[in-house]
Amino acid sequence: MDMNEIKEIFFQECEEQLAELESGLLKLNDGDRDPETVNAVFRAVHSIKGGAGAFGLDDLVSFAHVFETTLDCVRSNRLEPNQDVLKVMLKSADVLADLTNAARDGGSVDEARSRQLIKELEALANGELPPASAAEPAPKAVAPAPEPVAAPPVNEEGFQPVAFSFEDFEANEPALIEATCYEIVFRPKSELYAKGNDATLLLRDLSRLGEMSIHCDMDGLPPLDRMNPEAAYFSWKISLKTDKGEDAIRSVFEFAEWDCDLDIALADGCAVDASEELPMQPVPFDLSMLDEAPVGSVEEEEQIATRDRDAAVSAAETASNVLQMAQSSTRAPAEAQKNATAAASAAAQQAASAATPTIRVDLDRVDRLINLVGELVINQAMLSQSVIENDTNGTSSINMGLEELQQLTREIQDSVMAIRAQPVKPVFQRMSRIVREIADMTGKSVRLVTEGENTEVDKTVIDKLAEPLTHMIRNAVDHGLETPEKRLAAGKSAEGTVRLTAKHRSGRIVIELADDGAGINREKVRQKAIDNDLIAADANLSDEEIDNLIFHAGFSTADKISDISGRGVGMDVVKRSIQALGGRINISSKPGQGSVFTMSLPLTLAVLDGMVVTVANQTLVVPLTAIVETLQPEASAIHSFGATQRLISIRNSFCPLVDVGRILNFRATQANPVEGVALLVESEGGGQRALMVDAIQGQRQVVIKSLEANYTHVPGIAAATILGDGRVALILDVDAIVAASRGQTLKPEMSLAAAG
Amino acid sequence: MASKKTAQKTLRLAPVLDLNEATALHEKLLALKGSAVAIDASAVERIGALCVQVLIAGAKNSEEQQLSFTFAKVSDAFVKTTQLIGVDIDPLMAKEI
Repeated sequence: MDMNEIKEIFFQECEEQLAELESGLLKLNDGDRDPETVNAVFRAVHSIKGGAGAFGLDDLVSFAHVFETTLDCVRSNRLEPNQDVLKVMLKSADVLADLTNAARDGGSVDEARSRQLIKELEALANGELPPASAAEPAPKAVAPAPEPVAAPPVNEEGFQPVAFSFEDFEANEPALIEATCYEIVFRPKSELYAKGNDATLLLRDLSRLGEMSIHCDMDGLPPLDRMNPEAAYFSWKISLKTDKGEDAIRSVFEFAEWDCDLDIALADGCAVDASEELPMQPVPFDLSMLDEAPVGSVEEEEQIATRDRDAAVSAAETASNVLQMAQSSTRAPAEAQKNATAAASAAAQQAASAATPTIRVDLDRVDRLINLVGELVINQAMLSQSVIENDTNGTSSINMGLEELQQLTREIQDSVMAIRAQPVKPVFQRMSRIVREIADMTGKSVRLVTEGENTEVDKTVIDKLAEPLTHMIRNAVDHGLETPEKRLAAGKSAEGTVRLTAKHRSGRIVIELADDGAGINREKVRQKAIDNDLIAADANLSDEEIDNLIFHAGFSTADKISDISGRGVGMDVVKRSIQALGGRINISSKPGQGSVFTMSLPLTLAVLDGMVVTVANQTLVVPLTAIVETLQPEASAIHSFGATQRLISIRNSFCPLVDVGRILNFRATQANPVEGVALLVESEGGGQRALMVDAIQGQRQVVIKSLEANYTHVPGIAAATILGDGRVALILDVDAIVAASRGQTLKPEMSLAAAG
Repeated sequence: MASKKTAQKTLRLAPVLDLNEATALHEKLLALKGSAVAIDASAVERIGALCVQVLIAGAKNSEEQQLSFTFAKVSDAFVKTTQLIGVDIDPLMAKEI
């Protein structure tokens, strides 16, 4: 493992920490005052800072430090985390994410914004609500404050990067402070050692701060044959006379904070002499020998030889975090025996976050596996087909075995697909940031409520979901919700609510985005559509059809073009991206009560349940999700309409009959409907169409093979698959066919979709 | 005492006594149970608190069984570390050869 790999792990963990941070802050925002939540938030920032320090990412460190200081105030109940405070903190979390991204991918961040936030954070830490004028020149950011509430002075930039070496404390600290005595009780936990840290190193650093006397409490040590050599039994009581202040002591334990119990108290008198009831051993100052002692395990030492020792420890800590999580759950029982009270809470909390151990796997490997399983499924289908063809009696044991094989392959496929499945949580979390930013820009007060964030869906779907969702959220906040004044006037609460839900429904994932805004102004939409020549002035449209007009390209009802939305690219792009995912999007809107956008997406893009049909001697697959019902048309139900159009009457309503063979140019003339089968499909616009095919062969799960990747895009065809007999079958793009039946040509529509 | 006359076994400590070494050291001490132990710590360059714990547990064990447990030879680093972490090994130092 080289430095870059460690760095990559650090960034991966940063992402997790940032997610943790944000969800913690949102919980606090919802009124959660559990100290554990505050701790989790604090820990997240702290870990990022620690790792960033190890890699010399100064911007990240300095910002995280200020953030951490403020969070510490919340943690110690010196700052009430009210809405205003959390607003600043959420913004800070966003900036922290930006800084992390900038550190990873290069690029720059909005410095003015982070400076402003640093000022606000510091103001909060100082106990003042409005941003303070941070112009007072001061020596050092970390004030050696005996009483912790003392305002940390800041320099003219508003903040002071905190370096990680301890030399700083010696060199820059004002020497005015009187030496003070501290009583320190230090009880390491087993995790401290497991992370490659050692109590001796911490004590050595501590002894450098001043005159130190120490008593080692060995009472907890069990008999030799019953001890766990890797558990922590010793604890220490230290009396330290130092002029560096409590902060310096705390920073010694900076990276061990979570793995030990630490008590630092001011002592009345300096009890460096051994007059107390506990015999104290004075520690000699000359520890120079020990300085040579390397830190961390040997391998780490080799890799990070150039880094100073604290960086190494923290890097090791960061890099081994994943391992730690898994280990802690197994370690917990042994530990609980000893440190029952202290360890139990920590272990329980860690066990909760590491309930099931996980591994990181390259996506490529998973994809390769999925591909192979796809081949396996095809091969299995081919095998069973050839057995059936060669087997006349039909009930042989081979058939039984084949059936079992079929079940197994299906199960394997499902399990493999589950590997790629990921909760939609990360995407939803990104949305909360977008809501915050747009709300800020538009001066609206918005609350994002998410539900079902743990709903799982294929990773490709998740990746492609972010963009359309962003568009829609922007629209919802910018167009959907009213300004606070208008809301109050309409008898609603000033704060608008945007609700984002995900759930599984019949093999698809349904994502719903609801706002409680004004709803779609149908009159305005209709007028706009007429102005833009999208519909005829006298067209008679249902409410639903009007609502769906907003999905047309070049449609925007915003009077003024704003930064956020209203440039006419929006809902049509959204619709196209959702369609490209094999999904559908619907809108329902109630004036005055808001709009609901419902997206239904396939769980995976790798397999599809389809109906295999024959059209003009070609085998096609129609996605099962599109089909509402199938029926055998009767001659009496077919009505001609115009020159080429035909309608089929189904239960007293008319539905356009679409000859798939004709649309795809498989044949030159229209087929006789009575000889074929009609598939009633539901299309994007909400309307139903009857697709006419020659015959239905059956229903089966097919493995999707991209046509674009292997050949080129074919209008009206979504993808291809290989059937059991080894032949290639094309998967029908139902929406494209329906659109083509409306008189639009297949080609341009589809090439747009391919580009989108 | 009679027990003191049983054959003394010497355990030479590795130069680096860190987390990885703690278990090994524990096993070695367990193997020496029931005999007087002399620890040769002259090669020790670095010792962590875990190994000190094991050594002290070993010393206590010997004490209970009235066996001798001494540090025959110690390195500078060993002495300094034990001083640093407040573990008094003076009573365990071999006073005379």
